[in-house]
Amino acid sequence: MSSEGGGKARNRRGLSGWLNPYHYNFERWAYVFQRVTGIAILAYVIGHLGDTSFFVGGPIGTGPSQSSWTFISGIVENSFGHLILVLVVLVVIFHGTNGLRLIASEMGLILGRPASIEYPYKPRSLRLGQRALIWAAIILAVVGAAWAAMILFGGLA
Amino acid sequence: MRESRLMLLQYITALLAVALVAVHLLTQGIIYPYSTAISFGTILSLYRNGLYAIFLEALLVVVLVHGFNGVRIILHEWRQTAPWSRWVDIGTVVAIVATVAFGSKTVILAVFGGASG
Repeated sequence: MSSEGGGKARNRRGLSGWLNPYHYNFERWAYVFQRVTGIAILAYVIGHLGDTSFFVGGPIGTGPSQSSWTFISGIVENSFGHLILVLVVLVVIFHGTNGLRLIASEMGLILGRPASIEYPYKPRSLRLGQRALIWAAIILAVVGAAWAAMILFGGLA
Repeated sequence: MRESRLMLLQYITALLAVALVAVHLLTQGIIYPYSTAISFGTILSLYRNGLYAIFLEALLVVVLVHGFNGVRIILHEWRQTAPWSRWVDIGTVVAIVATVAFGSKTVILAVFGGASG
């Protein structure tokens, strides 16, 4: 984004300005994934409101209905639906754990001490603590998704 | 509401969502086996347990406020004109109210509605 005449900010690159993290650092990738996963989770939640409404007979239902619940379960409880759930667990755990890192950063934690900017211009804020937390978010998400896959596909529970 | 307050709301709902979503995920497959957790009888008994119904309503409100406010933040970053900002804010409130109302209808009917076969 660049500031132009009259102090009016204009985002020339539009969505690609923040959606494309190439040539940026690791934290920028986490920033993009935080937003993409956030939108994906919201889309899932809206869909989930729709499918859970069938517990009470659908969007215009009037009370708990076993036949309506059996109907929607027949549509969503299959391999494709379970694959979606595994992906949801993956992005939810990443979004939540990475979000905790962002809140900690907002509070000034794990950012390192301020220092003069020197070549090769590596940000002090992106030293071990931040990178470790981003990796922790990735690893936890993968482990959680693997656990969900074992439950949904392997009959773990 | 001031933008700083809305950002604070975003962080508070984030912390609440982490706790509530964690409980929700644990209920589906760990506290209860998955096949039991999604069975009509189990869900009905959970809804009819008042505490769990309150938990689900809180989860609904927290996640939707956090989600739509998050989209609002992204849209404000994307463009910064007065009409755009105003309509994004209005759209966010409408979306939150509509989806919370829709989800709450399910919770209320599940708790108080008469069950049918």
